[in-house]
Amino acid sequence: MVEYIRKSTFETVHFDGEVIILNTDNYTLTKLNETGGFCWSLLNESQSVESLRESIFRHFETENNNVQGDIEVFLEGLLECDLIKVID
Amino acid sequence: MVTLYKKIGTHSIEFNIDQHQIVEFIENSFFDLHDKKSKTDLNIKIALGYGTPFVDYKVNISEENGKVIFKRSDYLIQAEHSYSSVNIFVNNELALKHALMNLYSAYIVYHNWGLLIHSSCAIQDGEAHIFAGESGAGKSTVARLSQPRELLSDEATLVKITPDKITIINSPFRSELTEIGSSEIAPLKSIQILHQSIINKRDTLKKADALVDLIDKVFYWAHTPEETKNIIGLMRLLVERVPTYNLYFKKDETFWELIS
Repeated sequence: MVEYIRKSTFETVHFDGEVIILNTDNYTLTKLNETGGFCWSLLNESQSVESLRESIFRHFETENNNVQGDIEVFLEGLLECDLIKVID
Repeated sequence: MVTLYKKIGTHSIEFNIDQHQIVEFIENSFFDLHDKKSKTDLNIKIALGYGTPFVDYKVNISEENGKVIFKRSDYLIQAEHSYSSVNIFVNNELALKHALMNLYSAYIVYHNWGLLIHSSCAIQDGEAHIFAGESGAGKSTVARLSQPRELLSDEATLVKITPDKITIINSPFRSELTEIGSSEIAPLKSIQILHQSIINKRDTLKKADALVDLIDKVFYWAHTPEETKNIIGLMRLLVERVPTYNLYFKKDETFWELIS
């Protein structure tokens, strides 16, 4: 199972549930909504798509079947912005 | 060598200059420092004869021998780490003006004092309103249309940021509207991101969107992790305390009806 974790070079700001992440290596800004911000907070420890999905179900009390696809796209986005890395 | 004592924002500056034409430029661009302290905040040495005339706005930032270096085709800034002592080499007056904006922007971020924001700023009923935007969005148009309201800036607004209050200080970095207003300071009431339009309209921006929109309007900083942290902290205080709007405006002064 592939696992992901945050890199350490960033600063975050929180506003009304949304999170802005500034990558201090390449100076890109990433804005996350409430669910994204929730996943980001979990990624301080290693997470897989499955562990994130379970946490989302528990936290938001939802059973939305599309969540898995959304999480995959979300993680790809964070990888592209160089904010997380894959754990070998 | 001529020494001039000047003031930018709340900071005292000692300029040391060789060339006569630069002396005149500095004399005319900055307020005199009346209450000269024993030690000035910034000590700047300026020399002509560097590089080529303006090519583009690209500034290369690096560190060499413990100094921060800002390099453009028409200027070179070598600053000690705290920016207390700085050497500037320029090609011409335009280069000097931009170099000083670059330096002061980096200086106030380093000291967590505030931000120099690409924008114009006008006073209405004792309160300041910022108009920010991309090049060509209408910052100077808005500044012109706002007269006879007093202007605190027409291209680069000096924003002093503390946890208690956000204050605008008269900016010496002017593009064309060179008259210096009488009020030197005003509390900041609103920030507008400009969009030219055929109708006037003003929408509130969410704070996260305001931060994203405004952060690339900050002039320069040295891009070290500490200073990036400062920028983020200052921006957070700014958008938390002051409402930011998208302002769609037509080219007459009626947009002011939406602001006051």
